[in-house]
Amino acid sequence: MLPGAARSRLLPMSAPFRYFGAAAAFQVAAWALLLVFSHEILSFEIGLGPVFAALHLVTLGVLAMAAIGATLQLLPVATRQPVRALWAVKLVWWLLVPGTALFAWAAATYRPLVMGPSAMLVVVAFLLYGVLLSKNLLGARGMKLVVAHGWAALACLVALAATGLAMVGRYEHGWAIDHIALRQAHLVLATYGFMGLLAFGLSGFLLPMLAVASPPAAAITRGVLWIAVAALLLGASGFVLPAVALGLVAVALHVGSLERSLRARLRPALGPSFALIRVSWACLAASLVLGALMELGIAPPGAPLAFGVLLVPGWLLTFLLGVLQRILPFLASVHASTSAHGTPIISALTPAALLRLHQVLHLAALALLLAAAFAGEPLPAFAGAAAGLAGAAAFAAFVTFVILKVRHGIQPPHQPATA
Amino acid sequence: MEFNRHISRRLHEEHAATLALWGRVEQTLAAGKPDPALLRQAATMLAEEITRHFEFEEAQLFPRLAAAGEGDISALLLDEHAAIRTAARGYTALVKQDAADPALRPLALELAERLVSHVQKEEMALLPALDELLDEETDHELNAAYAAA
Repeated sequence: MLPGAARSRLLPMSAPFRYFGAAAAFQVAAWALLLVFSHEILSFEIGLGPVFAALHLVTLGVLAMAAIGATLQLLPVATRQPVRALWAVKLVWWLLVPGTALFAWAAATYRPLVMGPSAMLVVVAFLLYGVLLSKNLLGARGMKLVVAHGWAALACLVALAATGLAMVGRYEHGWAIDHIALRQAHLVLATYGFMGLLAFGLSGFLLPMLAVASPPAAAITRGVLWIAVAALLLGASGFVLPAVALGLVAVALHVGSLERSLRARLRPALGPSFALIRVSWACLAASLVLGALMELGIAPPGAPLAFGVLLVPGWLLTFLLGVLQRILPFLASVHASTSAHGTPIISALTPAALLRLHQVLHLAALALLLAAAFAGEPLPAFAGAAAGLAGAAAFAAFVTFVILKVRHGIQPPHQPATA
Repeated sequence: MEFNRHISRRLHEEHAATLALWGRVEQTLAAGKPDPALLRQAATMLAEEITRHFEFEEAQLFPRLAAAGEGDISALLLDEHAAIRTAARGYTALVKQDAADPALRPLALELAERLVSHVQKEEMALLPALDELLDEETDHELNAAYAAA
């Protein structure tokens, strides 16, 4: 076997896993904050405070953090182009982790003057990541559609950082800007744009790979991307209804084409993580429908909170957790491979009972938060936050389990696989 | 999956057959209905897999991948070949003794998982890389050599 350094497209395990570890820790922090301030969940609309802080712990600390770790490790496989600047991969983490923690603390404790510098740390991290991503995409040799999604996501990231800084400028210096329009653009660019396009692009090769299936037809994937980009431009510009209509078409085509691929898979068992992925797709579509109802003024009471729940923990977080349940043991198994000890089997790195518990708790948290939003009752909000915190703790235990298993070495014979 | 080279398509077809058979093995064992005839059939197919299929890849394909700067992938796949051969030896010996032996269950499940995971990586990394690396003439030569092996 060649030494580890020769595996040029495979980063050292510490590089992606530091992002996954931080994401797991930030998820615990976000749900803990929500639990402590669960009485504020129902009244949350906008503005600083613990719920705003928890939201950004999820978006910056969990979603963006894990997306950066995953793309830096997985994109080189798709693009056949290694990430050359390992120092930059580490520096992004060192900027993003304290930046996110400080930003959330400042937001939770109503300190807008601290939010400026902490947001700058996050923006510099994003820009550096943007450079890493663009260099990789520029040299890409394969999977043109994954690469095209990468470019579109990168454009959203730049616009997202700009709108985020402008909003911090308003909080900190009282800039006279159309805050509502800017906030809407920021939300669309962050959730449906940067994270959504990365999720769509990586799904096109990652989900078929996990199921050993053919990827969806290129023409459909290309069409989905164009429609999604048009929807994003409309949504970020405030044209909600046409954006929702196009967004629903993109979601239907994306999910339909992936489901068709999965039906023709070579591997019979999909595994429980695909249940989370399917729930996330349902939440994505539901968030669009609810967004349209809100725009038309016919949404039920509690719709803004339900929209936020469907969009962030429902679509993006659920999708991410479903994917991480599968790729963490897969990546760890590749990293732990040596010619002396062989390659550990993935089930030896997959604590099935813990993941089932995480899945139940996470889905319970979603259901309870939605119930709280529509019923306007504080008790399900408290219970939802508690279930979310327990689920996040289970997920953190899973990440710790995988890291410790690899760090302490798995000697053959490996534990038998559970079918 | 659609591949442009004959050799990629041929290997892909063999991967599909491997997954189908070992998927059935996995399902019968998970259902608690071990099928000695199926386990023997899997052992026969495994012998073909770890000799003809693996040896061809090791002799003809992995060196080309390494020479094209894909040494990381070929090294990983080689490690997996070694692990599968080790597991296959134990499995085959036990099947020959008694295909109804309950001790076969963990060995068969381990092999099923290793083979699936290995096929995933070859389908994701090896076959697309071959499509890009091989010209038409080399593809025909390799395909003929594999057919004759």
